[in-house]
Amino acid sequence: MTTGFWHQVAAVVERDLLRERRRGDVLWITIPFGAIALLLVPLAVGTDAVLLRQIGPGMFWVIVMLFGVLVAVGKASSETLPQQDAASLAGLDPAAGFVGRTVSSAVLLLAFEVIVGVVAIGLYNISLVGVPWLIVTVLVVAIGLALLGTLTGSIVNSTSTGTALVPLLVAPLSVPLLLGATQAYDGLRFGHSILSWVLLMVAVVLIVAMIGVLTARPLQET
Amino acid sequence: MQSQTRIRRWPWVAIGLSLAVAFTLSMISPADSVQRDLVRIMYVHVPSAWLAYLAFIVTFIGSIAYLVTRNLKWDRMAAASAEIGVYFTGLAIALGMIWAKPTWGVWWTWDARLTLTAIMLFVYLGYLALRRTTEDPVLRAGRAAVLGILGAIQIPLVHFSVIWWRTLHQPPSLVRPDGPAIQDPMMLAALIGGVVAFTVVYVSLMVKRIELIRLEDRLHDLEMASERPVAGAAVTTPELGGSS
Repeated sequence: MTTGFWHQVAAVVERDLLRERRRGDVLWITIPFGAIALLLVPLAVGTDAVLLRQIGPGMFWVIVMLFGVLVAVGKASSETLPQQDAASLAGLDPAAGFVGRTVSSAVLLLAFEVIVGVVAIGLYNISLVGVPWLIVTVLVVAIGLALLGTLTGSIVNSTSTGTALVPLLVAPLSVPLLLGATQAYDGLRFGHSILSWVLLMVAVVLIVAMIGVLTARPLQET
Repeated sequence: MQSQTRIRRWPWVAIGLSLAVAFTLSMISPADSVQRDLVRIMYVHVPSAWLAYLAFIVTFIGSIAYLVTRNLKWDRMAAASAEIGVYFTGLAIALGMIWAKPTWGVWWTWDARLTLTAIMLFVYLGYLALRRTTEDPVLRAGRAAVLGILGAIQIPLVHFSVIWWRTLHQPPSLVRPDGPAIQDPMMLAALIGGVVAFTVVYVSLMVKRIELIRLEDRLHDLEMASERPVAGAAVTTPELGGSS
């Protein structure tokens, strides 16, 4: 593989999305799992419509964080060691591999957010406010979670515990994204500026992206 | 031999002396007009929190240094510092809760500083858990270094949480642009004494723990070497067959 960086990224994205189309892990397992979780919450906290409308957006983001991690990790750890070696011998740039896996995870996470979001709107009667900013928030969270999941998936790949460790690593690290997303929605609801929250999320995304690209090669060597 | 014993003992002597000074200062400092004797918890809580920051920053620096130099001494430093940091973060949270119950009326409140500190604890517990999953020191160092860098995102979030959000937790007491918030010189001395003593404890524990990790790595190498066949072991002396 002697093509340029972005061609390599495109090839990895195509491979991952093709694999998802064949296996349907996200579409048939993770998304229904997320929707069931949204269905279970009212059974636990009560079915008061006002309460559910109030906690709905927060519950949606919590479920995106907890279940979205599974999407990203599934993609990051789906490669076996021989496959990784083959990709490496073919000349795949580790950074291109990282970016490609992140992009494919972000696409799947976006699908997860949209479908589970529609379910949340229906079940909790959530009102949509500030749609352009909401789209930006959803997009940034998808990219951020994809980056965190891909990076931690690469870290734990081929360890003795495998992906079992990933939720412990990603859940606390995704807190800035969760805070940013929930506070941004609250800001939109009450007509406040949400720029600072969006900037916080973008800063986290940029930092994690930088760490991921710079450490892709050392991680491949481990 | 005597000098070696002296070197081995100095961390314990330093810890004992500094803690004794800090304890004395915290006991002779006056009680607070509002909090009364509860304020003495702060002389341990604040240094614990300071040590947690210091320890995690050292882990961050050690992780970067390892990835740049590939020298395992940096990884040992990062690992030892993270272990100490986790212990002192837990101590800071526990002492904060003991102080909060009589002061705020609850053990725990959903305050930004408290919540983010607890989350930081889990980030570094994950770091330590990751280290336990890989036996090979070189593989472990590479993986842990990336997480050591990633985890540092939490440090500024925790520190600035009291400024960015309207929190119940008070803003910084010592490091402020307008000088320390504490006016009483004895109280200030007790707090600074605690910070110095805990820093001595940190340095001493670091020296001991780094040495222990180095020995663990050495033991691992020896175990691996004993299991590995010696070069040429498969070659045996030819034996003459048949009878003369």
